[in-house]
Amino acid sequence: MPNMELQLGLALPTPNMIKGFDLNNHRLDHLKQRGCFSNKSKRSFEQAFGNFKQDGKTKTLLLWSGQPNEEEDHKDQKKTTFSTIDDNDDEEVEQVVGWPPIKTWRKKIFNQPNGVGGIENNRVADKENGRSIYVKVKMEGVAITRKVDIRLYLSYQTLSNSLITMFSKDKKCGDDDSTRYILTYQDKEGDWLIAGDIPWQSFMRCVQRLKIIRNRD
Amino acid sequence: MHKKMAFSFPDEVLEHVFSFIQSDKDRNSVSMVCKSWYEIERYCRRKVFVGNCYAVSPRMVIRRFPEFRSIELKGKPHFADFNLVPDGWGGYVFPWIAEMAGALPWLEEIKLKRMVVTDESLELIAKSFKNFKVLVLSSCEGFSTDGLAAIAATCKNLKELDLRDCEGDDLGWHWLSYFPDTYTSLVSLNISCLGSDEVSFSALERLVGRCTNLRTLRLNRAVPLDKIANILRHAPQLVEFGTGSYTADLRPDIYSDLAGAFSSCKELKSLSGFWDVVPAYLPAIYPVCSKLTSLNLSYATLQSSDLIKLVSHCPNLQRLLVLDYIEDSGLEALASICNDLQELRVFPSDPFGVEPNVSLTEQGLVAVSSGCPKLQSVLYFCRQMSNEALVTIAKNRPNFTRFRLCIIEPTTADYLTLEPLDVGFGAIVQYCKDLQRLSLSGLLTDRVFEYIGTYAKKLEMLSIAFAGDGDLGLHHVLSGCESLRKLEIRDCPFGDKALLANAEKLETMRSLWMSSCAVSFGACKLLGQKMPRLNVEVIDERGPPDSRPESCPVDKLYIYRTLVGPRFDMPPFVWTMEDDPSLQQLSRANLM
Repeated sequence: MPNMELQLGLALPTPNMIKGFDLNNHRLDHLKQRGCFSNKSKRSFEQAFGNFKQDGKTKTLLLWSGQPNEEEDHKDQKKTTFSTIDDNDDEEVEQVVGWPPIKTWRKKIFNQPNGVGGIENNRVADKENGRSIYVKVKMEGVAITRKVDIRLYLSYQTLSNSLITMFSKDKKCGDDDSTRYILTYQDKEGDWLIAGDIPWQSFMRCVQRLKIIRNRD
Repeated sequence: MHKKMAFSFPDEVLEHVFSFIQSDKDRNSVSMVCKSWYEIERYCRRKVFVGNCYAVSPRMVIRRFPEFRSIELKGKPHFADFNLVPDGWGGYVFPWIAEMAGALPWLEEIKLKRMVVTDESLELIAKSFKNFKVLVLSSCEGFSTDGLAAIAATCKNLKELDLRDCEGDDLGWHWLSYFPDTYTSLVSLNISCLGSDEVSFSALERLVGRCTNLRTLRLNRAVPLDKIANILRHAPQLVEFGTGSYTADLRPDIYSDLAGAFSSCKELKSLSGFWDVVPAYLPAIYPVCSKLTSLNLSYATLQSSDLIKLVSHCPNLQRLLVLDYIEDSGLEALASICNDLQELRVFPSDPFGVEPNVSLTEQGLVAVSSGCPKLQSVLYFCRQMSNEALVTIAKNRPNFTRFRLCIIEPTTADYLTLEPLDVGFGAIVQYCKDLQRLSLSGLLTDRVFEYIGTYAKKLEMLSIAFAGDGDLGLHHVLSGCESLRKLEIRDCPFGDKALLANAEKLETMRSLWMSSCAVSFGACKLLGQKMPRLNVEVIDERGPPDSRPESCPVDKLYIYRTLVGPRFDMPPFVWTMEDDPSLQQLSRANLM
């Protein structure tokens, strides 16, 4: 899956990332890898813990080095637990184990569309079970990034309407009603395209992120 | 002689009097009045609570209370919920079941929290206790639906099967068909944590249909919306209900079916579930909203406007769990509508994002603290806080008993003044004199611990992360918090001094957890040697602590008081610090 390599570009890919796995152990493995080898980790460490006075803390705040726990693998075939890691967004801070303090169980409700792991639960096209697909939506000039569940919409029109409502309170003063916006999206290959060219169903399956930009024509 | 009068009541009379005393604390007090009361009380104690399964042995419990019918056991430390306790640490229930199987054939209730429960344990429960009635597994793991099948098949008098937040292997729904056709005594069923997609509803519907005493039914995400109406029609007497996946294609027939079914449930007081919720289907529950006292929307990804609409139909809410999509505006609406609110939990919808994705700030909490006079328990995740807001909140609501605030980014300062949040949390402990549980976050110095040590006299549980400057902080807490039972700390610069200076305090507490702090291996050894009634467990996946210098800090430390010394079921990455052999003799003697 080309997608994997792009997103994990700054970290060593681990075989564990590809199949479904239990949040408990394999998340730790991923953090171990990133913590030890990624340049990114340093920057975000300072970002997160810049206030720390003690120097010796670096090691203790990031994960200890150790061996991934292999014996968990065979249990995962039958388990219907899902993975919830969204670790391909370069706007996110380096994650510390167990922070923020949310129960493992609760984290499982966030099923990412570009989910790490080919777990069956990522049933994008299957309406029966109604799994949500969350994509981030950013509007040019607005600080807050929102998230929408693509599965709630039946067409580009309903999606646009909802986005207009969502962002109408965020419009900057400089803009007036004549300002036009374009909805763009990032597909599975990482390319940014203008929304509307492909059938809605196909769009739902490949959209990773949305961005609303001002039309400069 | 006056002395005789104390013993002139026959035992049966005293037993009868004691039967009105239910709380463990009171029972313990009763047992300490005199020797004969101790004896009478221990034979008639029916409920036993063991807060730490390693503090005592099953044999000891059975020896002291030979006739109990209900037991509640807790295993792993709380931070296990956040993956801080490595798998395999412990908390196995099997030895308890094995001991009780022989000695207590009339056991009726088993309630477990954070324990490892295997199918073998479940099968043994099913086999051993003929009158078994209640099984509650909360945050447990290790079992599969095969074990549940054993319970279903054998426990003819089962009333309650409650699986909350458990992690197990869901191998399908056929375990439900193991309840015999003659079985009708189910009162409460919570299977919200199971998730297999192999659904078979006929077994569920038949079960629900024949158990006319069913009051609580919590389904899981695998149950689609169009099945709910049928289930509800089989059980209109339900008081607590959890939906499955609350989504379906928008169809009028499904909608009217659903609305009709909800309308017929006149007793409903609590709703939960709402996975994958589609707003269009929400009005179906409006008929029951005015009676709702508890609403769990913490899996419901609804926008603020939909949440406000829903909440405005529920003026009698006492308990609300919700995602931060509710935003400040939603909480302001909540504050004006739900005046009976006692408990509020707001969970983050995007916990790992750096930028806020919703407009939820400290203002929402201020609004609720102002508008809800009965609010006593709060769990709140947000991204910014100020001392000013915390002081306002504290003054508004001195009746808080549980205050857990999680500012998502560690060491975040007061966003208005850029100062630490010491003063704000200080106000919380100063004004809320009955505070029992507190979780801190944000930028905090030793000063906040000084406040806590000074004011938080009723505090029983304290959670600290990324806070403090040094040992003095920990010392304030250990020396000042008289009622402290559980202390859990992560990523704080607390070292040896405070711990060693307050060693005796640790025996008055249930447990202390410290991870990624600065406690040296040497200090752990010393503590272990000097305090025979404590188990000092060093948890370190890097390898044996004695392979590193003594001054090297340990990775994780779990200290708990115990009557039975080191446990024998430790995995290779856990070491219990040895008692001093000369002291060991003394402590063993005390046990006899």
